[in-house]
Amino acid sequence: MKNLSVTLSFTLFAIVCALALGFVAGAQTVKVDPAIPSYTKVPGVSGNIDSVGSDTMNNLMTFWCEGFAKFYPNVKCQIEGKGSSTAPPALIAGTSQFGPMSRMMKSKEVDAFEKVAGYKPTAIPTSIDALAVYVNKDNPTECLSIKQVDAIFSKNRKCGGGSDINIWGATGIGGDWANKPISVYGRNSASGTYGYFKKKALCKGDYKDTVKEQPGSSAVVQGVTEDLQGVGYSGIGYKTSGVKAIKLAKTVEKGCFEPNLENIVGKKYPLGRYLYLYVNKKPNEALDPLRLEFLKYILSRQGQEIVIKDGYLPLSAAKVSELRATIGAN
Amino acid sequence: MPRLWKPGDAYVWISGLALMVTLVMIGGLLFLIATKGLGSMWPVDIGHYTLKDGSTYLGQLQSRELVRGTSGVKSDSDFRVKLKIGNRDLYGLDFRWIDETDIASIDYPPEAVILERREWGNYHGYLKEIRKNGTVIPGTAPGAFGVLEDLIHDANKIYDEILKIEKGEIGDINYGIEKQRLKLRGLSMRSESNPAKESEIRLKIEEYEARYKISEAELGKLYTELTRNEVVMLSAAGDEKVMPLGKIVLAFRPNDMGFAQKAGFYVERFWGFISDDPREANTEGGIFPAIFGTVLMVLLMSIVVMPFGVIAALYLREYAKQGLMVRIVRICVNNLAGVPSIVFGVFGVGFFLYGIGGIIDSVFFKEALPNPTFGTGGILWASLTLALLTVPVVIVATEEGLASVPRNIREGSLALGATKFETTWKVVIPSALPAMLTGLILAIARATGEVAPLMITGVVKLAPDLPIDGHFPFLHLERKFMHLGFHIYDLGFQSPNAEAAKPMVFMTAFLLILIVIILNITAIIIRNRLRKKYATSAV
Repeated sequence: MKNLSVTLSFTLFAIVCALALGFVAGAQTVKVDPAIPSYTKVPGVSGNIDSVGSDTMNNLMTFWCEGFAKFYPNVKCQIEGKGSSTAPPALIAGTSQFGPMSRMMKSKEVDAFEKVAGYKPTAIPTSIDALAVYVNKDNPTECLSIKQVDAIFSKNRKCGGGSDINIWGATGIGGDWANKPISVYGRNSASGTYGYFKKKALCKGDYKDTVKEQPGSSAVVQGVTEDLQGVGYSGIGYKTSGVKAIKLAKTVEKGCFEPNLENIVGKKYPLGRYLYLYVNKKPNEALDPLRLEFLKYILSRQGQEIVIKDGYLPLSAAKVSELRATIGAN
Repeated sequence: MPRLWKPGDAYVWISGLALMVTLVMIGGLLFLIATKGLGSMWPVDIGHYTLKDGSTYLGQLQSRELVRGTSGVKSDSDFRVKLKIGNRDLYGLDFRWIDETDIASIDYPPEAVILERREWGNYHGYLKEIRKNGTVIPGTAPGAFGVLEDLIHDANKIYDEILKIEKGEIGDINYGIEKQRLKLRGLSMRSESNPAKESEIRLKIEEYEARYKISEAELGKLYTELTRNEVVMLSAAGDEKVMPLGKIVLAFRPNDMGFAQKAGFYVERFWGFISDDPREANTEGGIFPAIFGTVLMVLLMSIVVMPFGVIAALYLREYAKQGLMVRIVRICVNNLAGVPSIVFGVFGVGFFLYGIGGIIDSVFFKEALPNPTFGTGGILWASLTLALLTVPVVIVATEEGLASVPRNIREGSLALGATKFETTWKVVIPSALPAMLTGLILAIARATGEVAPLMITGVVKLAPDLPIDGHFPFLHLERKFMHLGFHIYDLGFQSPNAEAAKPMVFMTAFLLILIVIILNITAIIIRNRLRKKYATSAV
C-alpha cells in the first residue's frame, strides 16, 4: 500500500514536473497536438493555388504551399502578400482562391462579397498568432499594461491611459533610461496587424504621427533591433535574438503574461489572435478537391508543424476537428 | 612675385576632391557589401560553449560587442557574443546573444558537425550513428563521417532526379493537361457541339493522367529511397535527433578543415548560391531564378528600348523641322527622364496590365478567364514599363551622338549622290553607334536597379517557373518572375527569419552590382570595338 502511494505520488510529481517544464519552455518548444490527424494523399488533385492577402501570413502560405506541393507535384502556387486588405477584393473578383487575413473581415468587406456571391465568405482559422510588443534586447522593460501601450502608440489614448508616454522613464524604468525618448515603430495601414493592434491595444484610437510605419513585419523587428530606444509591434513569428518580446498585462491588477500558447489559449495575454484563411464556399456544396485538400493539409499535423516552423502557434486538436467538420473534410 | 594659384585652380581642386570622395564612397560601399555578404559563407569554426549555468551550445561566432547593462550604459570592458546556434526546431531561434562573463569554457572539438538541412535551417551537433540499409554505423567508428558524406552525396543525386521528374516530366504533363482543359473550355464557351473533338481532347487528358500516374509512382519510389537511410545526431546538450538523409543538403566539420579545404568548400557553396532555387520562403538556398529574371528582363527591355529610342532621336535630329514643336518635344523627353519610377509603374499597371493585357485576354485567352493571362503582372509588362522609363536616356544619348557627327562627312556623302536616307543609314548611324551604346549602358544601369515599378508590374516573391522553358513558344512573356532588387527588399523587410536572411541580403546586393557591372562591361567592349571600326569615318 505504501509502495503504491509512493509510486503514485512519484508519478504525480513527474507529471507536475513535466507540466512545469512545458510551461517554462513556453513558446520555444511548442508541439503539435498528437491528436491532430496526419495528412494522407488522395488522387485527383491538380491545378493552381492562387492566394492574395496578408503580409503576416505570406511566409506561412509559402511554406504550406511548398509542403503541399511535395504531396502533389502537379500543384503550382502563386502567393501575393501585400496586406490583409487586399484579400477581399481578390476573392470577390475571383483572381484568388484563398484570402489569407490576419484579422476578421470587416462587415463592409463581407457585404461587398455577399453582394457579388450571394452568400458570406467562409473564414477558417489556421493558426494562432501572438501580436508581440518588441523592445530592444538591452531594454530593461519587462512588462507593459495595455494602458501604457496605448499611451505609447496612440495620440488620443482611448483605453484610458492618463498621460502621453514619450520617454522610457514614464513606463517606470529608471537609471539612464529615464530620460531616453521612445521611438515608435509600426506597420502601414494596409496591414491587418495595423488594424488589429489599433482595435485591441489602442481601443480604436489613432496612432501617433510619430509612429514610423514600416513596409513589413520583419522591418519593424529590424528597426527595433537597430534602435536602442525603439518599441514596435509585430507577429511573434518574426522574433529574433536582437529583440525582446515583453510581457503584457490587460490591467495592472491582472498581472503580466508572456506571449505563449498557454496564455493565449487561456485568454490571459491580451493580443492573441487567429490567422484566417478566407475561401469562397457555397453553402451546402462541397469544395473542389484542390481547395478542400489544401485546407485539409493546413488542418493536419504536417500543416500545423509548419505553423510552428514559421514561429506561430498551432491550433488545438478540438478546434481542428471542429474546423474539419465545417469544411466537410470528414 | 608669381602667383601660386591661377584663378580657376580652386575649382579644379574642388572637383578633384569631390571625385575622390565619390570614389571612396563607392569603394566603401562595395567593400561593405562584399565583406558582409561574401564573408558570411565562409565556414567559421564551431565552438562548444559551456555556460556557467550548465547549459551548452554549439555555435559559430557571428559578432562581438560591448555589453550594455540594464542601466543603458555601455560597459567598457565586458563583451558579449552573438552565436549562430542553429537547431531552430530545438531552440526556437537560430541566434543567441551570450555575455562573455557567463561562459565557463569554449572548446573546438574537431568532430562537431554542421548539417545544412532543406528545412528548419542548420543543425549543429555530434554524429551519433548512421543507419544505412538497416545496419548501424556508430559515429565514433573510423571513417564514419566519410560514410555520411558519401550517403548524403547519393541522397542528393536522388533528390536531383526527383526535381528533374517534377520539373521536367510532370511539368510537361501539367502543361499539356492545362492546354487541353482550356481547349475543352473554349469549345463549351463557343457552345459548339463537336463530340468527336471533345472526346479526342478527353482522351488526350486521360493519356496525360496515365503518364502522370507512372511518374507519380516513380516519384514515390524515389521518395522512399530518399528517407531510407538516417542519421542520428546529438545536440550540444545531448538530445538525440533522427533525420533522414534526404533532408540534408550537406554536412561539414569546420573545425576539422584546413584552409585549402575551407576555400574549396566556400567555392562550392558560392556556386550553390548562384545556381540553386531558393528554399524556406527564400531565406535559404540559392537565388538562381532571381538572377535569371533580372537578366532576361533587362535584355527584353534593351530589345524594346533601342529601336524606339534610336528612331525617335533620328527623327528629332535628322528629319524633323527644327522649330518650336521639336523643342517642346525635346523638353518633354528630358522631363520624362526625371519622372519618378513609381509613376511609370502606375502607368504600366493602368495601361499595359489592365488596358492592353485586358484586351489581349478578352480576345485570345477567353477560355482562361476569369484567371488573367496577360491581364496581370508579367515579365513582358515589367520590361515594357522599364523600357518607357529608360527611353529618354537613350534618346538624349543618341541625339548627342548624332549631333557630333561632323557636317562635312554628311555633306561629302550627299555630294557623292547618296540620298538623305542612305546618308543617315550608311554614314551617320555607324558613326553615332558608340553614343547609342552609351545610351544603352545608362539605360541598363538604371533598369537593373529599379524595383518600385516592378513590384506592381510582375515581380513576385517566389516564382520557381522560369520565363523560358522547353514548352512552345519557349519564351513565356506572361509569367511572373523574380528579380534581384525585389529579392533584396523581400529578404530585408519581409523575411520570417531576419537574422538568417541578413547575409543573403548582402550577397544578393553584391550579385546585383556584379550583374550591372558585367552587363555594362559587355556593352563597353562592344562600343570600343565599334569606335575602332568607325574611327576613320568619325574624323
